[in-house]
Amino acid sequence: MTRSVRCKSCMLAFLAAFALTLQSAAQGNDYFVYFGTYTGFKYVHHSKTWGVGESKSKGVYVSRFNASSGQLGEPQLAAEVVNPSFLTISPDHHYLYAISEDPLSIGPPVDHSSYVSAFAIDSASGKLRFLNSVPASGTSTCYISIDKTGRYVMLANFGSGSVSVIHVKDDGSLGELASFIQDVGHSVDPSIQTEPHTHWIGVSPDNRYVIVSDLGLDEVLIFHFDEKTGMLSPPGPPFVSVYPGGGPRHFTFDPSGKFGYQLSEMSGNVDVFSWDPAKGSLTEIQRVHTAPHNFFGGNHSAEIEIHPSGKFLYESNRRTQGENIRGPDTIGVFTIDQKNGTLSRVQEVLSGGTMPRSFALDPTGNYLLAANQLSNNIVAFKIDSSTGRLTKAGNEIQVDTPVCIKFVPAGK
Amino acid sequence: MKKYLSLLILLSLSVASAHSQSQSSSDYWVYFGTYTGFVYMKEGLPAGVSRSKGIYVSKFHPATGELSRPQLAAEITNPAFLAIHPNHRFLYAVTEDPLSLGPNFDHSSYVTAYSIDSATGRLHLLNTRTTGGTSTCYLAIDKSGHYLMFANFGSSSVTILRIKDDGSIGEQTAFMKHVGRGKDPAFQSKAHPHSIDVSPDNKYAVVSDLGVDKLFIYKFDAATGVLSPDQPPFVEAEAGGGPRHFTFDSAGRFGYSLHEMSGYITVLAWDAASGSFTKIQDAISLQPDFIGANDSAEIAIHPNGKFLYESNRRFRGPEMWGPDSIGVFAIDPDKGTLTEVEQVPPGGTMPRNFAIDPTGSYLFAANELSGNVALFNIDASTGRLSPTKTDLKIDVPVCIVFLPAGK
Repeated sequence: MTRSVRCKSCMLAFLAAFALTLQSAAQGNDYFVYFGTYTGFKYVHHSKTWGVGESKSKGVYVSRFNASSGQLGEPQLAAEVVNPSFLTISPDHHYLYAISEDPLSIGPPVDHSSYVSAFAIDSASGKLRFLNSVPASGTSTCYISIDKTGRYVMLANFGSGSVSVIHVKDDGSLGELASFIQDVGHSVDPSIQTEPHTHWIGVSPDNRYVIVSDLGLDEVLIFHFDEKTGMLSPPGPPFVSVYPGGGPRHFTFDPSGKFGYQLSEMSGNVDVFSWDPAKGSLTEIQRVHTAPHNFFGGNHSAEIEIHPSGKFLYESNRRTQGENIRGPDTIGVFTIDQKNGTLSRVQEVLSGGTMPRSFALDPTGNYLLAANQLSNNIVAFKIDSSTGRLTKAGNEIQVDTPVCIKFVPAGK
Repeated sequence: MKKYLSLLILLSLSVASAHSQSQSSSDYWVYFGTYTGFVYMKEGLPAGVSRSKGIYVSKFHPATGELSRPQLAAEITNPAFLAIHPNHRFLYAVTEDPLSLGPNFDHSSYVTAYSIDSATGRLHLLNTRTTGGTSTCYLAIDKSGHYLMFANFGSSSVTILRIKDDGSIGEQTAFMKHVGRGKDPAFQSKAHPHSIDVSPDNKYAVVSDLGVDKLFIYKFDAATGVLSPDQPPFVEAEAGGGPRHFTFDSAGRFGYSLHEMSGYITVLAWDAASGSFTKIQDAISLQPDFIGANDSAEIAIHPNGKFLYESNRRFRGPEMWGPDSIGVFAIDPDKGTLTEVEQVPPGGTMPRNFAIDPTGSYLFAANELSGNVALFNIDASTGRLSPTKTDLKIDVPVCIVFLPAGK
């Protein structure tokens, strides 16, 4: 009796302390930062899992972040979920969607369904409340985004080379499979391009088109998107190609919606396209190589993001595998020509750890948080708003196997 | 008044019994699934020109074998497989290949739900959803009537979608992908699930995979619609055999797996408690002196449980066909083993599909290439087939399902 009461009060004290930690700096520029992780292994290379059982992560973690001071709170477990390797937030900030890339943690060679789970966000505590979970209609799902209406989540199923669009119900939970497209074909690299491998999917700024990056095909595909039905069309859509063997991984539009930037994993190239929203077409205007000129070793470029001002582009270059393999582990900074969208190199900084698979800019554009997958740390960088340059802010936190970062404004 | 009331009750009872009697011997709607965009696949690519516009329906009178001229029940692209809901109110059709590109270039298949007007046989569109796979070639409904199950030949997966109370199609509840390849480079360069069926107790799903020569067994949770691999997860078929279609016997003691390329019918004892198969016989539908290529296709057991029927397309293109056949086998009631009774010509070319009417009196043979459905009389004591004069012209028929006709 007394024991259980003591335990309960223990728990209450802990919860109170937790709430206090998260809310202590609750003013203006406060955000919850969600970290997606791998829970069952350290990383995936050429469709094989490495370091199985070495991750101690239990799911999605949340920290409180102040975008004025750069202060980053201790991470707390926000929701227990297997291998939540990519996250997306609803436009109204009420819901978070996490994929379970590999629900059994035995890696892509054994193909089984990925899942996507819906969570309601408690805007006071940052905690996540599980709503439901549905199959992704694909395997090794590696990317999720949400359309501008918040009514559809979109998934890139790397393993099975398909994309899925799933309806979001009014209560934020996940519903019907609204669209499914299987990519068809291959490209030149026999180690990874014998099949399609979709790696990114997202809507155009006007929500009328969907872009899909396919690492296996060396193509960036452009679908029409019907926001009333969630349908992608046509099947077998128009596309633009990157340099053979490049491996298109992540894509981003600039904030003005005039340009598109495609980062390729194996080549480390950024292909710059002009975007014609009337025709829904991409036209290549520049190809930039990102890895440092003096670099010698294996590189897999990973994440790409544009500063909210539209003036700077950031992209990460991680070592391909293992502690012993030399890799760049850098974040590249580029300025964007405001008239023609082209890139010029500004800086290449070490990411403050190993394997920066992901990073994110806070919504104010003051800081960049780098997620170093192998060294288990999140490192904050201050962004110089006139030059775009990064300098280490001096604070970092430990998160096991971090691979995705998303921001949500913190409530009162 | 009281007397009058009881008279009324008596009267209504006799009407009800007359009604049910006329139901049992009454008519059926027969729905025919077709290809609208091609006639057959030649080396993985569509070949031939179809004039079909979708799903056709005929009225069938089993007492006499009369079959009405087929009418278009619903316009739809390539409705290659159909299933009727256990409540008889809804029909589901798979659009195998919406652009008629063939399995290697197909981007998504679709499934469409219809409500059935049982008086006219007409179909009314409810909704259409993607199957979550490509070149979907098979559709089944679980015993609860809450789930649609699909074999996606092109994208090597099986998927399950929920059926809502109004018959329309809801969310995906399961997705499984098969990996690997088989011995035959032409047809087995990757996994090709070809059928999915639930066990009689609705606790397991059995999937024939033509590409990897395996019969997969999944646990099926009818409360959630989720599939999970059984232990062991599959039974091996002979290399290059190509498991295509499967059926349980009505007692749920045996399973029969038809292999497309080898023409084997593998007989398996089913242990419903552990969800496992034990092989007991490989019956062979091909004559020892057969020369040529064979694609065995459909398998079904007579409602009396005594006979098994299977079709063989001994054909690879219009310039090389025959002898197409339907094989009749007697089932040993104790051991489940098969003994061949006869092989009969199907009344056309390429009998990809056939169906036995629910009364067990007739077999309908759907001949894909010759564009006809031929009716055979079934001898209930021997299982033997004898041709009737009834022969429906239907372009590229590939699936047949029955529904009791209403008033």
